[in-house]
Amino acid sequence: MSSLDDTPQHWARIQEYGSVSTMRIMVWIRRHLGRLPFRVMLSLVVLYYYICHAPPRRESRRYLERVWPLHSNRPLRWRTWVGLRHFLAFGQSLMDKIDAWSGIPIELKMSNEDRQCLDQAISSGRGGLMLVSHIGNLEICSAMSDKRDDFHVTQLMHTHNALKFNQLLDRSTLRRGPEIIEVSEITPATAMRLAERINAGGFVVIAADRVPLNDDGRTRSLEFLGAPAEFPEGPFWLATLLRCPIYTLSCLRDGEAHRVEFSPFDDTTRLKRVDRDAWRESAMQRYVDWLTDQCRRQPLQWFNFFPFWQTHDRTHS
Amino acid sequence: MANALELELKHLIIDTLELEDVTPDDIDPDEPLFVEGLGLDSIDALELGLALQKTYGIKLEADSEESRRHFANLKSLAALVEARRVD
Repeated sequence: MSSLDDTPQHWARIQEYGSVSTMRIMVWIRRHLGRLPFRVMLSLVVLYYYICHAPPRRESRRYLERVWPLHSNRPLRWRTWVGLRHFLAFGQSLMDKIDAWSGIPIELKMSNEDRQCLDQAISSGRGGLMLVSHIGNLEICSAMSDKRDDFHVTQLMHTHNALKFNQLLDRSTLRRGPEIIEVSEITPATAMRLAERINAGGFVVIAADRVPLNDDGRTRSLEFLGAPAEFPEGPFWLATLLRCPIYTLSCLRDGEAHRVEFSPFDDTTRLKRVDRDAWRESAMQRYVDWLTDQCRRQPLQWFNFFPFWQTHDRTHS
Repeated sequence: MANALELELKHLIIDTLELEDVTPDDIDPDEPLFVEGLGLDSIDALELGLALQKTYGIKLEADSEESRRHFANLKSLAALVEARRVD
């Protein structure tokens, strides 16, 4: 085992920025003083982080240089300004999370097609697996699941990051939100629990864009925004084992509203064992294509501030 | 009968994991199922867990150490099924 300090590049080893006490103050300002003072405060905090935290700033720039030509057909210009906007978008997403969980109404947009797809997915009673990524703001979707009694969501989360933020939410809000299963590895017990949820018509949310620490080296290198990046095979293994409908889900900020996108991805119910490897390969490529399209449309809402394109530094046993 | 259950589990393992060149006699109840012995991997463990759940309605605690113990060999697996089956 390597110590936590000597390989700071892996996302799971990077502390999420902002201490809980700073965040508490922010929540207080948002609640008691309203939107404008909060925005001013948030901008200052974000500016501070942008200036004082070089590694995420560097990673943000690397990402922006890759995605910008795809987004605007031009190379990245005004790099500092766009980088700052990238950080501000992240700060904004934190505010949106707080709003969502504080019960402040949020405007959700959804195309008719996607809405029908979601309604059908729920009413079919077959449940499913929803592939997501760290783009946009999924907590908003979870807030949506709060409003529907027939929409049961279980979110699979890696234990390391995001703990702080969830602590904060738990203490300062009354909402319960989706069931969260925190795991550092998928055990038979986890798989059984997930299968149980899906058999009961529920939906399991899993992010497929970050490689966990204990992944047994099950990753695949795929071309993403012009260079190879490592993606975890785990979610796609799960998809074949759980034998259920698979969907993609995202929630991107669109002006003052949020656009929820929910689309069918595949169905592994009848997938044969011999076809699994081929399926995984094609499914992972299709996931990366989907992710590329999301980034192209909303480049500033990509919230992976760690070296995404570097071969992840992991210890193999 | 423990032996009948062991045989049943051998068939379950072979069928679930489609181990075409393995017969029930090849599986020694005391030998490790994973890595050594039968040479199954962590994905096989997940699949086996799901099959046990489907067939016997078994639930497991999330503790991975405990799972590892239950899945150590056929004997421990049979003991798990004996203790937790709900049919």
